[in-house]
Amino acid sequence: MVSISLRNVCLDYPLYGAYDYSLKRRLLGRLIREPGEMRIIRAVDNVTIEAETGARIGLAGPNGSGKSTLLRLIAGVYPPSSGSIAVEGNVVPLLGLNAGVNLDFVAEDNIALLLRISGRKPTRATIDEIWAFTELEARMQRLPLRMFSSGMLMRVLFATATAFPADILLLDEWLSVVDEHFAEKAQERLLNLVSQAAIVIIASHDQPLLRRTCSRIVTLDHGRIASTVMVEPPATHALELREKRA
Amino acid sequence: MHHTSDNSRRPSVLHIFKIYYPDLFGGTLTVIRDICASLKDAFAPAVLVCSQSAAKRQIVVNDVPVERVRSFGNLLSLPAAPTYPWRLWRKIAEHDLLALHAPFPLADLVFAFGFGRKRPLVVHWHADIVSHAGLRWLIEPLMRRTLQRAKAIIVSDHVLVDNTPLLREFEDKCHVVPFGIDTSGYDWPNIEPHHVNDRGRLVLACGRLVPYKGFDVLIRAAAAHSFEVWIIGEGAERPRLTQLIEELGLTERVRLLGSVNDCERIKLMCLADVFVLPSVTNAETFGLAQLEAMAAGRPVVNTALDTAVPRVARHGMEAITVPPGDSEKLGEAIDSLIRDPERRRHMGLAARTRALSRYSATAFRQGMETVYRDAVAAPSEQRSMNVEPPPATAWFDSIRIAATLAWSDMRHRYVRSLLGPFWMSLQMAIVVAVLGSVIGQMSNADMLSRLPMLALSMTAWTFLNSVVLDATTALQSSASLIRDRALPPVIFLLQCTFRQGLFALHNACVPLVLWLILSPHDLSHAPAALPGLLLFLACTFALSLVLGAMATRYRDLKPIIESTLMLAFLASPVIWSSDMINHRSTVMRLNPLTHLFAVWREPLTGVHVDPISIIYVLVVLALLIIASALTLVHLRKAAFWI
Repeated sequence: MVSISLRNVCLDYPLYGAYDYSLKRRLLGRLIREPGEMRIIRAVDNVTIEAETGARIGLAGPNGSGKSTLLRLIAGVYPPSSGSIAVEGNVVPLLGLNAGVNLDFVAEDNIALLLRISGRKPTRATIDEIWAFTELEARMQRLPLRMFSSGMLMRVLFATATAFPADILLLDEWLSVVDEHFAEKAQERLLNLVSQAAIVIIASHDQPLLRRTCSRIVTLDHGRIASTVMVEPPATHALELREKRA
Repeated sequence: MHHTSDNSRRPSVLHIFKIYYPDLFGGTLTVIRDICASLKDAFAPAVLVCSQSAAKRQIVVNDVPVERVRSFGNLLSLPAAPTYPWRLWRKIAEHDLLALHAPFPLADLVFAFGFGRKRPLVVHWHADIVSHAGLRWLIEPLMRRTLQRAKAIIVSDHVLVDNTPLLREFEDKCHVVPFGIDTSGYDWPNIEPHHVNDRGRLVLACGRLVPYKGFDVLIRAAAAHSFEVWIIGEGAERPRLTQLIEELGLTERVRLLGSVNDCERIKLMCLADVFVLPSVTNAETFGLAQLEAMAAGRPVVNTALDTAVPRVARHGMEAITVPPGDSEKLGEAIDSLIRDPERRRHMGLAARTRALSRYSATAFRQGMETVYRDAVAAPSEQRSMNVEPPPATAWFDSIRIAATLAWSDMRHRYVRSLLGPFWMSLQMAIVVAVLGSVIGQMSNADMLSRLPMLALSMTAWTFLNSVVLDATTALQSSASLIRDRALPPVIFLLQCTFRQGLFALHNACVPLVLWLILSPHDLSHAPAALPGLLLFLACTFALSLVLGAMATRYRDLKPIIESTLMLAFLASPVIWSSDMINHRSTVMRLNPLTHLFAVWREPLTGVHVDPISIIYVLVVLALLIIASALTLVHLRKAAFWI
C-alpha cells in the first residue's frame, strides 16, 4: 500500500547567518549573553496533504512559496518541526538533475553510479537502453561528461533519472531545461513514468503541465496551502499523445 | 494488579516531579494532587518522584500509585537521585501521557536526550529557575529541548509567558489554566455572619519555610506593629526564623505552627483577619495559599512580583500589594487593614467572589482535561522520526552506496593518471625513506629493521588523518545528493572511511615491500594484531563521524581540527616509537593515539599489549560511540547546515 500522509506539518527553517556557523562565536555569545542572530522562517506552515495510490498532485505557487521544501520534507531531507509525516512506499526524489554527477567520469560510469545511488544494479542492457533514449552517438558513452554540451548532459541525466518506475515520484521544476527537440519525447517518457508511479507530486510553475498531468493542484503561498483545485481527467491530452504515436 | 482493568479504559498519565506527599506539603504538590483527583475519571494517574526516606518505594497516596526513587539529599535544590533518569525512562513506556512539573532538570535530562519521544508530553510550568540562576546557562538548553518536544505547556497565568523569555519562544504551545480551588471545604454559611471580627489582629501566612517565601520580611514587619502572626508550614528555614523571632523579642506574638493538615488549615484561614503572602522572588508564580484565603473570604496582602501573584488578588480590590522584601510597607499595609474592619469585610467579600467565579475547581478540571485530551489525541509529533531508525536493509543500502561512491572515487584517480593512488604511495615511500634516514641519524638504533614498522605507522596515520580531514568537508561537497536525492548524510561520512581505506591499501604496498626485503618473514604475529586494528578502524570512523558533523555545523572547527591533527602527529609515537625517547612521558601516556597505535603495533612486533592501553582504547571507543549516536540524531538536521 503506497500512501503519503502529512498532518499539520510545519517546518521552521533556520537561516544560519555568518556568525551562526561559528562555534567560537556561539560559545562567546553565551558567555557575554549576546543573543544569537539566528533567524527562523516558517518554510512550511501547517500543511495537511493525504495521498493514496493514484494521486497526482501538482504544487504551484510563486518562488519561495515552499514547493521544493515540501517535496524535501516528504523525501525525508528535512525533519518536520511539528506535525506528522507518514510515507509508505519507495520514494524517488528527482529534485535536481545534477545531483551526483561527476563531470570527469565518462558518461557510462556516471549512469552506472547514478543507478547505484538510486538502488538499481546497472547492467549493460539498462545502460544501453538509457543511451538509446538519449539519441546520442554510441561512442560518446566513453567520453567524460565534461565534454558534453549542456543540452546533451541534460539528455543523459534525464534518461537516467527516468529509467525506472517508482512508487512515489517527487519531481521538482526541471522539465524546462530539456531542449526543444528533445522536449516532446521527454514529456512522453515522463508521462509514462508518471502513469506507472503510484503517487506523483510535481512542483512546477508550468500551469498547463500541471493541469495535464495532475488530478489535484495545490497552490502554496508562504508555506501555507492557499487553495486546492481538483482537475478533470486529462482525456484530451492522452488522445493527442496516441494520435502522435500512431 | 487491581488497576489493570481501569488502565485499559482510561489513558494513564505519569506525573513527573521531584518530591511528593508525604515527604512535603506545598502549593505545587497540592496542584499535582488536585489534578490527579479531579481527572481520575478520565485519566489514570501515577506519580514518579524522589524521596530521601528509605521507606517503601511504591506507595499509594490518595488512591494514586506513587513510585519514589531513592535520593541521597539535595544538591543545588535538586534531589541527588542518580537512578531517577533511568526509572523515568523505564516508566515512560507504561503510560499514555507524561506530565512534567517544571522546573525539574533531572527529568529534562531524559527528555533532552530524546528518550520518551513516543509519548506525548505536557509541561506544567510552575516556576522559572530562580535559585542558582548562575547555572542557568547549563540548564536552559535542556529545558528548551523539553519544551520543544512538549505538546502543550500549561501555565497558571498569561503573565508568566510574557515575563519568561524561554516560554515566549513557545508561546503558541502555552495554555493558560488558572489553578482552581474546591470551595466545598469552606463552611461559608457558618463563617459569613461573623465574617469579620472587630478586634482583628491575627495575621496568617502559609507556605514552606524556604527563603523565597519571605517570612523573615513578615516577621520584621511584625516587630514595628502590634498584630499577631501565625505561620503555617515547615522547612529548612525554621531555625533561622526561630532565631529571628527571638532576636526581635516577638515570641509572644509570632508563632510558627509547623505543618497543619488541610482541614485545620482551612479553619485557620477562616479564623484569621488578614492573610499575607510575603514572597520575595518570582519563584512564587501563583500563590495557591492566597487563593485559599480568598475562598475563606480573607483580605490579602501580597507582593508586586512579576508573576501571577498580584493578579490573583489585585491591589485595591482583593488585596493590598506591596513591593517585595519591603518590611516597612508590608507592616503598614497589614496594619491599615487591621485598623479598618469595614475595608476587611469589603475586600474579603470581593476575594470570596473572585475565588468562586474566576478560580473554580470545575474550570480548572475542564481546562486540564482539554489540554490532556488534546495531547493524547494529537498524532505523535515526530512519527516520521519513530519510523526513522532505519531497518537493517536501509543501513545495508547506506553502506552499499557509500562503498560504491568510495570505489568510484578511487577509480577516478586512475582516470586522470595511470598510477592513480600509487602516486601517493610513491610519496609515502619517499617520506619513509627520508624520515628513516633522519631518525637513524638521531638515534643509534638499527633503523633498517625499523623501517617496515615506520612505513606501516605512517600508512595508518595517513589513513586516520585523511579520513578526519575528508569528513570535515564531506557533507558540504555532497550537498546536492543530500538535498536533491534525499540520501542520508551518514553515507558521505562513511564514504570518507571507505575511500581512505582503499587508498591506505594502496599505500600499504610500501610497508609490505619493505617488510619483504628487510624482515624475517614471520607472519605468526599478524592475527594477534587484527582485533587491535579493528579497534583502530572503529575509532577512526567514529571520530570522523563526530568531527565531520560538527565541522559542518560549525565551520570554524576545520582549521582547529587541522592544527590539532598536526599536533597529535608530533605528540604521538608515529614516526618515533615510545622506546626511542624518554620512556613513557606523561603526555604520551595521556595521549589516546599512543594507545590506539599500541593496540595493534605491539602485537605485530610480538610484544604483549599493555592492558592499560586496551582499557584506554575501549573507553575512548565507548565515548566515541556515545558521541556518534548523538551525532546521528543531529545529522537529521544536516540538510539545514549545508
